[in-house]
Amino acid sequence: MPAIIEIKDVTKEFKVLNRREGLKGSIKDLFSRDYKTVRAVDSISMSIEQGEIVGYLGPNGAGKSTTIKMMTGVLEPTEGQILVDGAAPYKNRERNAQKIGVVFGQRSQLWWALPLIESFRLLKDIYRISDEQYDGMMKLYGSLVDIEPLLHKPVRQMSLGQRTLSDILAAFLHDPKIVFLDEPTIGLDVSMKAKIRTLIHALNKEKNTTVILTTHDMGDVDALCRRIVIIDKGKMLYDNDIEHLKGFFGSYRTLKIRIDGDMKEIAESIQKELPDFSVSADDEWISVLVDEEKAKVIDVLGRLQSSCKIKDMQLEEISTEEVIKKIYEEGVS
Amino acid sequence: MKRNGLGFYLRIYGKILAQDLKSKMSYRADFIISTIGMIFTNISGFVSFWILFRSFPSINGWGYYEMLFLYGFSLVALTPVQCLFDNNWSLRQYVYSGDFIKYCFRPINLFFYYQSEVFDIKGLGQLAFGLGTLIYSWTKIGLGFTPLILLKMTVFLITASLVMAAMQNAAAATCFWIQNSFYILDLVTRFKDYAKYPITIFSPVFRFIFTFFLPIAFIAYYPSLVVLRPDEVPLLSWLSPLIAVVFFWLSYKLWMRGAMKYNGTGS
Repeated sequence: MPAIIEIKDVTKEFKVLNRREGLKGSIKDLFSRDYKTVRAVDSISMSIEQGEIVGYLGPNGAGKSTTIKMMTGVLEPTEGQILVDGAAPYKNRERNAQKIGVVFGQRSQLWWALPLIESFRLLKDIYRISDEQYDGMMKLYGSLVDIEPLLHKPVRQMSLGQRTLSDILAAFLHDPKIVFLDEPTIGLDVSMKAKIRTLIHALNKEKNTTVILTTHDMGDVDALCRRIVIIDKGKMLYDNDIEHLKGFFGSYRTLKIRIDGDMKEIAESIQKELPDFSVSADDEWISVLVDEEKAKVIDVLGRLQSSCKIKDMQLEEISTEEVIKKIYEEGVS
Repeated sequence: MKRNGLGFYLRIYGKILAQDLKSKMSYRADFIISTIGMIFTNISGFVSFWILFRSFPSINGWGYYEMLFLYGFSLVALTPVQCLFDNNWSLRQYVYSGDFIKYCFRPINLFFYYQSEVFDIKGLGQLAFGLGTLIYSWTKIGLGFTPLILLKMTVFLITASLVMAAMQNAAAATCFWIQNSFYILDLVTRFKDYAKYPITIFSPVFRFIFTFFLPIAFIAYYPSLVVLRPDEVPLLSWLSPLIAVVFFWLSYKLWMRGAMKYNGTGS
């Protein structure tokens, strides 16, 4: 099956005015314009299959939104080629728009003053959705979320969570091949976040829609994405399964134990006993970072139990959040 | 997929308009107050016009009713701009805050989609006022209601509207390049007040400016000459429909170019 999105060596450069400082500088700027070229995206390539949910991650200013804008046809790449469903999006933005849906977490695209149902009807006309398809979609929505109370409420009066939910429903309405979600859960409470994630997951399953998700919330990534792509400073850092990513830093797990007595002292003696692993202590727990390629957690626990009296224990997996943080800070080596 | 034609856009616009009006009617107080405001704006404009003519019975060979005709003509011609292109006033904020991007993802024309979002109903009050003035002065001058005159009126009212819309589009589009574009839009709107006067009262320098740079002379003066002074119609009057179409098209291109360029910056 051919890929739905094909990105080949894409680079995007912007010309940015070098602003000089002070009043004198700005007067100079008026007359001589001194531009520098900034590479927002630096020869990235990827290929995305129909039906995938891809987490597109990177720190602020990494080039994520520039890439999204190129895929949606708003921007033209400086070099390289992007094909969305076999066509270059920027060459015909309007035709490309028919195949995609876009949601920005903070900017509703719905008509502010209209009840949701009227927005849906307008979208039905704009996207030329057939009655049959429209009714099918509404039925599906009804089975996934409690949509009734939303339908007759003007978007303006909705809470942020309801608005985001509505925006996502609106983006899927014309059964697009791809939906771009930009921070869909930003600013939402825990239960709303869970609702939104369940909805995205269900729509992806039901309609086999490709979802490109940019987010800073690793909860979104853990709940939805099998594959993640990370970029920073315009360059691609990582593109693979999320499980593979965790293996990148060895298979680390943190063993936490609680022992009566002075934690600091005990931690020091444990460190002497286990020179391979780093041991630290806070007021409540002594943490041992165990590299499972060197020793099994259960064996370490056994050794510790023979030398001291363990009152309580916990085992922590290294979280996606920690892995991503490590990549942002140190890169993939 | 079939390309979206004029019929498609008219239908979409009709539906958006119907919904918009429905939601506006639900804010009755807001609706009534803004309508009253519009009426007073028009009355005060009319009063100052009337006071002027109590002191000067004619201006440069233009009599009271002819001036009134010009006044009414410009009010009617401005209605479409007021009603259909009012969202131009908000363009600056959308661009500044970055919210403009949200208009870029629909499979329809960006300019259309953006302007269709707002229909300013206050313009309709202005239309009623302008039509009243126009018809009153029309009968007083004794122009008659022949099909030819009605045809001329229709063509040249559209001409005038296109020019005004073009000027506003172009002025609003400057916000894609510069930050304080409000002053440009405001300036253009203020200048359009001069459209009510025959251009011959201005000095040659301003006559040139109002014809070729800020073409407000095309809003009422040149088009209404065709009806008012059928014996001495200058070439520019006959050309004005063509000029208006070209000018509107250019302003549209400028607006779209700005919109595309804008998306290249910021996130």
